[in-house]
Amino acid sequence: MNISGIGIIFTHGRGINKYDEALRQGWRKPSLIELPSVPNKQFPLYPVEEKTITDKGISGKTRRADKFSKMAVLAAMDALQDSDLKIDKKKFSLGIIVASAFGPHVTTFRFLDDILDYGEANVSPTLFSHSVHNAAASYIASVLDSQGPTITCTQFSLSFQQALILSKAWLHEGRCEYVLVGSVDECGTVMEYICSQKLKMAHDGKIKPFTFSARPWAVPGEGSVFFLVSRDKALKKYCQIEEITLGCQAIKEEDIDITILDADGIAGDESQYRNSLPTNAYIAGYAPIFGSMMTGSSFQCAAGALMIKNQIRYACPVQDNPYNVNICKVTKQAKMKKIQCIRYNCLNEKAVIMLQQ
Amino acid sequence: MIKIVITGIGTISAAGANLTETLDNFQDGKRNAGPVSLFPSTLPYPVFEVKNIPEKWRKDGMRTLSLALCAVEEALNDAELRHHLSGLRVGVCLGTTVASQLNDLDFYDTYRSMGEAPMDPVDRFLRGNLAGAVACIIKAQGPCLTVVNACSSGADAIGVALSWLKNGICDLVLAGGADELNHVPFCGFGSLGIMSESLCAPFDRDRMGLNLGEGAGILILETETFARQRGQKSQLYLAGYGSAADAYHLTAPRPDGAGLEAALQKALTEANITPQDICFVNAHGTATQDNDKVEGNVLARVFGPDIKIISTKGYTGHTLGAAGGLETAFTAVALLKGWIPASPGFENPDDEIPVMPLMEETSICGNYVVSTSLAFGGNNSALVIGNKA
Repeated sequence: MNISGIGIIFTHGRGINKYDEALRQGWRKPSLIELPSVPNKQFPLYPVEEKTITDKGISGKTRRADKFSKMAVLAAMDALQDSDLKIDKKKFSLGIIVASAFGPHVTTFRFLDDILDYGEANVSPTLFSHSVHNAAASYIASVLDSQGPTITCTQFSLSFQQALILSKAWLHEGRCEYVLVGSVDECGTVMEYICSQKLKMAHDGKIKPFTFSARPWAVPGEGSVFFLVSRDKALKKYCQIEEITLGCQAIKEEDIDITILDADGIAGDESQYRNSLPTNAYIAGYAPIFGSMMTGSSFQCAAGALMIKNQIRYACPVQDNPYNVNICKVTKQAKMKKIQCIRYNCLNEKAVIMLQQ
Repeated sequence: MIKIVITGIGTISAAGANLTETLDNFQDGKRNAGPVSLFPSTLPYPVFEVKNIPEKWRKDGMRTLSLALCAVEEALNDAELRHHLSGLRVGVCLGTTVASQLNDLDFYDTYRSMGEAPMDPVDRFLRGNLAGAVACIIKAQGPCLTVVNACSSGADAIGVALSWLKNGICDLVLAGGADELNHVPFCGFGSLGIMSESLCAPFDRDRMGLNLGEGAGILILETETFARQRGQKSQLYLAGYGSAADAYHLTAPRPDGAGLEAALQKALTEANITPQDICFVNAHGTATQDNDKVEGNVLARVFGPDIKIISTKGYTGHTLGAAGGLETAFTAVALLKGWIPASPGFENPDDEIPVMPLMEETSICGNYVVSTSLAFGGNNSALVIGNKA
């Protein structure tokens, strides 16, 4: 399965070039927000600014859309544009698969506000219809005028990996010729409060992927990444997704140039990642660029795809390295043929996405 | 070609605590609806609640999971798998709407008023990813996915399972959907003005809207080779799945029904059959003005105006994420048994709908049937089930 286009919305902006720029630039301080519920204390967050998701070109079609849907629409649209694929005559051959850990929870809580404030008979139908997980996929289909199959899925930490497995299956079966597969998650104040209660928030603003801690530091983030994938080798602009493995399935770890650890503090104990360290390859982790997210693997995967496309090795944005593992310390041109991205969920189940030139 | 057989079925809904009870109630034409009792409400809409969940599957604050586990147990027993999952590549793919959302009103109310709230509801939510929780309980070691495609979630979950099996990702899948009756969507559907204050009447001229319900419908799907290896025979198989988006509106179906028609054509193509091979359609049939009009016209266009159709939502209510699972299960059993129940609530034909649901229990003869699902967001799905006999 070949990656032909990537679209991304994250804390530092919109577009794959902006992401490349951010990866080259390295770590930047997160925003600090004060929760209404916890006065006089600030929490770090990598938010997506409103201006990032403002696009006059589609404002008519998305005027009622919430932030969650807008992020997904723009990332999906940019992925399609990045691929140069025209779908006018292929409206039934483009599949859409959206992975999300928590869905549009900000809108869900706004709908609960309505119930609590105005009573059950006086709630907003617009808020309700936007509170369902698949609202984003619906907007994507509508904006792109795509009438292929559409699935929204949620599996917390491994949502994106499961979405990739399904994309591969759809393409293999011929259910569609192309798939826009990606992730979207947002972080509103209630979620930030929950994070503050459940996670160890990094008050210095740094996610530290190589400390392999049982109680790792987190800085919540939000955003969306989409990939246009197909079986057509002529459309391979970045790299191919060679394999997605889950659980105890065996993986070949030969000739890997970089192992990206999707250790970002959001899924609990990260000590397992030490068992996944390759003997020769470089180790990297780019979560400090975009923040802690259950669907962060999609962002890591985008970094891997960029490295293969541009034959570059990005320096790790945060380099705290108590175990002295072989991390990428500087950004430089390098031969990049094979990159694996590893994620553990809270049950210590391992998932590997293998990218190949 | 890889054949995917249906070796087990489990259902729970207001129509019955299991499949046998459900079929009895179908034959008797029983409609177990009434006012909401699961949460306080002043809204005037009747609902289809499940009255008794067995003690062993009751999970505090996780009613959707409880419903799913009831149906899972029945399906596993039916497939003679209850104690034999160890070492198998078993996938779990389930659709839901309610179980995917952190929408606990008490938690949120406390948070708003106190500035803090106990984390128990959050912990329950994090433990309650439907497919993940079921996989954990039955110790399934294979792919695991919760589909959240609104009202077509259950049907799409079955479609995903078909893809997994055809691609050799696993040997056996528990697929379907589950949803509880919950206060939040109850208010939401009320706000949309599409719920009926009387019992729903799918495809009827005087239909006033839907009734919400709850339940779970689970199929055990496996490759025919794998089923044969473990000594299972099944006449029923999942012959095709089609899905297409409307690309039109968040809540209203596309007026020309092009998305549903495309989904049906894809499902028929995958099954390698023509519309004439279909002996009946279990329609989505919500009893809303828009759905029934669009769906009825598409069914007439694809299958002809004489196609036999029913909507079992008159027995179960609209069970949202469970609907596709339940209705596929009912469709499969009807094909196997050779009869379909009367479509409850229907009395008067609608001039704008060229097909008419059955008004009495009817025998069917044929090898293929279809179940359709339409959803918010413009998802349309169709599943074709075949009978090898």
